[in-house]
Amino acid sequence: MNVPFQFDPASLLAEISTFQQKLSAGMSNVRGMVEPEYANTPREAIYREDKLTVWHFKGDKAPTAKTPLLIVYALVNTAWMTDLQADRSLVRNLLAQGEDVYLIDWGYPDGADRWLTLDDYINGYLDRCVDAVRKHHDLEAINLLGICQGGAFSLCYTALQPEKVKNLITMVTPVDFQTPGNMLSHWTQNLDVDLFVDTMGNIPAELMNWVYLTLKPVRLNQQKYIGLVDILDNPKELENFLRMERWIFDSPDQAGEAFREFIKDFYQGNKLVKGTLTIGGKPVDLGMITQPVLNIFAEQDHLVPPDASRALAKKVGTTDYTELAFKGGHIGIYVSGRAQREVPPSIHQWLRSRD
Amino acid sequence: MADQPTDFLKDYQALAQQSWDAWTRYLQQQPAAVSPFAPPSSSTRADDFMTRSMAGAKAYADWLRSAATSGLGQGGDDWQRQMQGLFAGMGGQPFTQAFAGLDSGAAQSFFQQWQHWMQAQGSMGAMPGLAGMSGFNAMPNFNAMPNFGGMPSFSAMPGFGDATAAFGFTRERQLQQQALAAAMREYADMASRYQSLIQQANAQGFERLQAQLAEMASTDKQVDSLKGLYDLWVDAAEECYAQIALSSEFKQVYGAMVNAQMRVRQLQQQQLEAACRELGLPTRSEVTALGKRLQELRREVRSAVTQQPAGAGDAADALRAEVVALKRKLVEAQKKADASTAVVKTAKKKPAPARAAAPKKTAGAKTAARRSK
Repeated sequence: MNVPFQFDPASLLAEISTFQQKLSAGMSNVRGMVEPEYANTPREAIYREDKLTVWHFKGDKAPTAKTPLLIVYALVNTAWMTDLQADRSLVRNLLAQGEDVYLIDWGYPDGADRWLTLDDYINGYLDRCVDAVRKHHDLEAINLLGICQGGAFSLCYTALQPEKVKNLITMVTPVDFQTPGNMLSHWTQNLDVDLFVDTMGNIPAELMNWVYLTLKPVRLNQQKYIGLVDILDNPKELENFLRMERWIFDSPDQAGEAFREFIKDFYQGNKLVKGTLTIGGKPVDLGMITQPVLNIFAEQDHLVPPDASRALAKKVGTTDYTELAFKGGHIGIYVSGRAQREVPPSIHQWLRSRD
Repeated sequence: MADQPTDFLKDYQALAQQSWDAWTRYLQQQPAAVSPFAPPSSSTRADDFMTRSMAGAKAYADWLRSAATSGLGQGGDDWQRQMQGLFAGMGGQPFTQAFAGLDSGAAQSFFQQWQHWMQAQGSMGAMPGLAGMSGFNAMPNFNAMPNFGGMPSFSAMPGFGDATAAFGFTRERQLQQQALAAAMREYADMASRYQSLIQQANAQGFERLQAQLAEMASTDKQVDSLKGLYDLWVDAAEECYAQIALSSEFKQVYGAMVNAQMRVRQLQQQQLEAACRELGLPTRSEVTALGKRLQELRREVRSAVTQQPAGAGDAADALRAEVVALKRKLVEAQKKADASTAVVKTAKKKPAPARAAAPKKTAGAKTAARRSK
């Protein structure tokens, strides 16, 4: 049998000394850095209520799309993943394509939001955000782009208020919450969520972040930071890394009641795909969604497995259903180079033919 | 050029010592607080980032040093023995740090909370007027608790032990303390089982790495750097962890551990509430009840406001609602018709995923499926 590794002493020394030197030298670079800003694409608030804000983005040129597009982000993490940095911004690329882009920034819930339910979020906040954009354009219906949990909200909303949605786009959106390999779902099945929420109240962001890190513990707690050593001497790459770290860990707490309902009804009961979900006493029937639907998912998504999203195909009532499989992960679908080239143009092309 | 192992080690030791000292000094300046949920946390984001990143890098650097001095890959055919020698020097599990935060670190921080809680209770019992009133100094005589790896000794912690019959003026308090101790014991059991599963994942990861290396050896492939070897280990460790994390046992243990910890927290909160009430302080449950009532009121107000225009004859809103209701009826009618005609249904064709550059419209397939019903 041969030997699977044979290290030349000189190259071994070089490898180790390079690591040590980069690590030592790089520490000073990190220490002097300020927190990187997001892309901060020019925007104005058109609606505010409690903690949330609806932002209207301004591109370099006037939009060519007749129907505005409202991005509905998840309650988990912040919406700035869609406008992370100048050259990695879904928002900017959509503007460049000619879309008129709005975004719901849910803000940071606190104790006053402990009793917000999914009914409050979907039939309340989301409905009023949609109304605000409709009013801004004097339109009966607008386009929705729901992301992850925001996609699930958008599906519920469209089923409940179909007349206000012209076209629906879902990105990395779970529909079937109990597909094989869904680790997050697997872990929630034996959770006594009533005890959990009654004890914790709002769910701390730090706890949420920790759970996400434990989905891939070695990669996310160690390997990532070993890789960081290689870019410690590259200010640009280091800044990008720190910006992503900011987004990952600067996340909001979850309103207790909404969390309870989401875990119970979506993860444990899998009611969205079963057709047994009710929001505010109103049944959510995905068959009511008869407008065009574009369902975008990531093939290497470890948070929302592709099959969890693909389940939508068999449930919506529309005859105009399109799927778009992106080669990448749950975050890469917004920030990777491939995503910048492929996703916004695909969205625009799909919308333009239905404007 | 250092072409002899002895020269290599000499050069390396000098270099490592130099950079290591500087780095260690830096790390020692960083505070490392412990949160209830995760070991890596501190007062500022910059510190948090540093602590988190450096813990991983430090474990890796330790391993590089050990690998360099162990003679790994420096000749000899018995590479498996070299690997075992290297990893045995690290407790048989490489990079325990990466997994450690999942069990002992987080659990230990929770136990630290427990200790603070018990100490606080002791202090409260010493407060004038509280001692006799609520039994803060009337702790039952707890006996030893079983310990598990990496955890503080329970026998050394106040408040643990077997329940005894409660009686007397402090009977209710004794029962509360016993319930809390029982909950803590249950949490300790579950955390121990969880930790075993994590250790199992770690051990299996190493076994898988060895198997992969053996396969490489049989096909003339070679790892050409320590980083390459490390990356292989990460892949193997993550694969084994995922396998265990998706098992029924893990699901059961994970749920039970979280539930047990919540029971402990809830019982602690109840006792704290009782103390606050006696001191005339507002409690969390009072604030929560107020928040709930406020939210209900807000819903009622909004509902009243939004219903008024429709009642006043907003024709557009009324028509819109009618359209939605009709649409809903249509969908229901369609479903009933489908069920009653229940002839052979052609399975709806599953749309083939389109590539990102070219979204594929699947309307045709769907329409065809509907027509065939």
